Amino acid sequence: MDKKYAQLWQRLAAALKPQISTDSFNRWFSAVELVEATDKSLTLRVPNNIYQFWIESNYMTALQNAIVTALGSPRAVKFASPSGTAGQTPLEDLSALKGISPEPSSGAKASASVLGLNPRNTFESFVVGPNNEIAHAAALAVAQAPARTYNPLFIYGGVGLGKTHLMQAIGQYVWAKNKNVKVMYLSSELFINEFIDAIQHSNLVKFRKRYRQADLLLIDDIQFLGGKERSQEEFFHTFNTLFDGHKQIVLSCDRPASEIANLEHRLVSRFEWGLTAELQPPDIETRLAILRKKARTMQIKLRDEVLQFLASRIRTNIRRLEGALMRVASFASLSGKELTQEVIEHLLKDILQEEGRHSITIEQIQRRVAEHFDVRLADMTSKRRPASIAFPRQVAMYLARELTKASLNEIGDAFGGRDHGTVLHACKLVKRRMTEQDNIRQTISFIDSSLQR
Amino acid sequence: MKFSVTKEKLLEGLQQVQNVVSTRTTLPILSNVLLQANGNEIHLTTTDLDVGVRGSCEADVEKEGATTLPARRLFNIVRELPSSEIQIDVDGKNAASIRSGQSFFKILGLPEEEFPPLPKFEDAKVVTIRQKDLRHGLRKTSYAISTDETRYVLNGVLFSFKDNKLTLVATDGRRLAMVEIELEFPRSHEADIIVPTKAITELQRLLTDDGEVKVSMGSGQIAFDLNKTLLVSKLIEGNYPNYRQVIPTESKERVKLERETFLNALRRVSLLASDKSNSIKLNFSKNNIDITANTPEVGEAKESLPVQYKGRDFSIAFNPEFLMAPLRALAEDEVFLDLIDEMSPGVLKIQTPFLYVLMPMRISS
Repeated sequence: MDKKYAQLWQRLAAALKPQISTDSFNRWFSAVELVEATDKSLTLRVPNNIYQFWIESNYMTALQNAIVTALGSPRAVKFASPSGTAGQTPLEDLSALKGISPEPSSGAKASASVLGLNPRNTFESFVVGPNNEIAHAAALAVAQAPARTYNPLFIYGGVGLGKTHLMQAIGQYVWAKNKNVKVMYLSSELFINEFIDAIQHSNLVKFRKRYRQADLLLIDDIQFLGGKERSQEEFFHTFNTLFDGHKQIVLSCDRPASEIANLEHRLVSRFEWGLTAELQPPDIETRLAILRKKARTMQIKLRDEVLQFLASRIRTNIRRLEGALMRVASFASLSGKELTQEVIEHLLKDILQEEGRHSITIEQIQRRVAEHFDVRLADMTSKRRPASIAFPRQVAMYLARELTKASLNEIGDAFGGRDHGTVLHACKLVKRRMTEQDNIRQTISFIDSSLQR
Repeated sequence: MKFSVTKEKLLEGLQQVQNVVSTRTTLPILSNVLLQANGNEIHLTTTDLDVGVRGSCEADVEKEGATTLPARRLFNIVRELPSSEIQIDVDGKNAASIRSGQSFFKILGLPEEEFPPLPKFEDAKVVTIRQKDLRHGLRKTSYAISTDETRYVLNGVLFSFKDNKLTLVATDGRRLAMVEIELEFPRSHEADIIVPTKAITELQRLLTDDGEVKVSMGSGQIAFDLNKTLLVSKLIEGNYPNYRQVIPTESKERVKLERETFLNALRRVSLLASDKSNSIKLNFSKNNIDITANTPEVGEAKESLPVQYKGRDFSIAFNPEFLMAPLRALAEDEVFLDLIDEMSPGVLKIQTPFLYVLMPMRISS
């Protein structure tokens, strides 16, 4: 034992002795050595694990009291067994693994999928462009030195822009470097479900232990925590435990933390604590690069014009971009036909339409409908309801329902705080009148197509 | 495959194996029971890949064969069947038709080949134990198993075969239970193995007071052959901690207690132990123990127990649940409580080789 540590241990022992019986002290502490002491923690070397188990279970309070008496402030206590690693020696861990997994040879691969990580989502397969440079650099920094630089790392961006890809890449990078690191990747929805399950079966302790042991916690789609108060509280404590234990936390979300509805302020402020990185939709060059890379890995050969066309027309979502590429490629290989622009446009009709539709807002619909029926835009949200105003309003609600992803409630709100039932009624009514009256159907399809343009 | 069987026999057979089937499983085949009809019996097997159980029941086998059927569902159906005669007919697509009295059920199974086979035990070390001894030994120790998954070596019972003795040990870091069973086996069979909790629970269900159990120890796994049923389990890898370190070598005071009287008194007093501190105090004075519990703002309880005691007056506090657990598991009329002082562990003993070490709680004065 280092001389300095020996002296420190002497002081600790002196403070400990009065608190426990002589027999207990001799039995459990006489063989303990202090091997490391920092401002935050003390490491005790014990002859074997029964010492650790018994001291942890029975003498932790006494030991902490002694630490405060001798050093003035509490420290975390760690244990090391003779070989230098805490608890069990790694050799035993290895043999345990061998016994459990049926095919040890495929161990590495199996474990990666056990983590819930898709082996394809690595840093190598991530296409970097100006839209995601910062997020990529931050993710790489985190992966190279977890819990050193940016903790927590908060990645946000729209659907299909690579949030999950980056998170999984971090997980795999860290795990590949050190197999002993406990990586946990899950969506916040799974977290919530397991939490509910734990409440139901009243094994919260087990639940907590599971999460608070992680060395790297990756939580995807954190926005689902919004409005779930108890889950938020549980997550808050998990977050704090991990953060205080210097464990890396990475979160992804489809919007900035401050915009998550019904998320407690203390969580928002914690999410914004580390680094926040945004993923933006890729520009055309990046999209083209993604398509080329994807085509190469999938071993498809397509003419450059085709890729150009896809990249220029599908702007918002990389997942959709890849889907379109897949579709075009399989069509080409199955039918053997020449890929002209018309063929592709026909093939991707729904995607392109959806892509165009993406940008339609309720406000645009309201403006267009008001213009068409020659009513004031203010009438869309007003409380007045003569037939000349009510019907256009209902048509606008119907179109909002059809053309946007807004919920009935959101549509109701956009139309002057109306009830979702009102919106539902409007949709049904318009649908019925469309089947009954041809001219109404024509009018509405005209507005629809003019909006889509 | 086609056979008829009585409801009672099939139910009994299913009851022996169905607990192994876990409700939440990733592999659908693991929620099924393997049925094999040979000669005049049906073999029933279930497994969760860690623990597997194989039982059997008598039946009139018309056509031999094998299939797997959803265990829980089959059990629920059989339990509700109106008549005691059951006919089961399984077609080539593993769909089972179950007829009994006026009832007819058809349930869909999975092919037999998908069912993971139970491990084989070739050149394993075999030791024979009287079922009664093992049953009582496990009953006296298994309640002390740790449920803390971070200390996985403690999530089971240690079977230590040494010096013609089988020592069973369970501990969770606050208490330790140990039983020794005299046993004859060759020196080459000496071993320390840890049998996981789930296997212990199932084994306790299967053991009876008659006959013997053949224990086969392979590498990393163990089999308990109870003649009619077989339980196999993976072992917990790792070294069980040196439990002897926990057992106090000396004792200053010893009191003899009537087990049931003591247990009943503890149970009554513990009604007023607070959830938070959860401790009851034993106050020793001449020929008397006062058992007390008190929770601020709730109330207090006290019960006096006349005993033979001539030592010094002192108090010691224990977790009531931990003190009652061994008293419930034991069958003996008398128990001995050995104590040193208020800060040292108490030891509960009986006439036969059994020992329970329990750490005291701190008395806040």
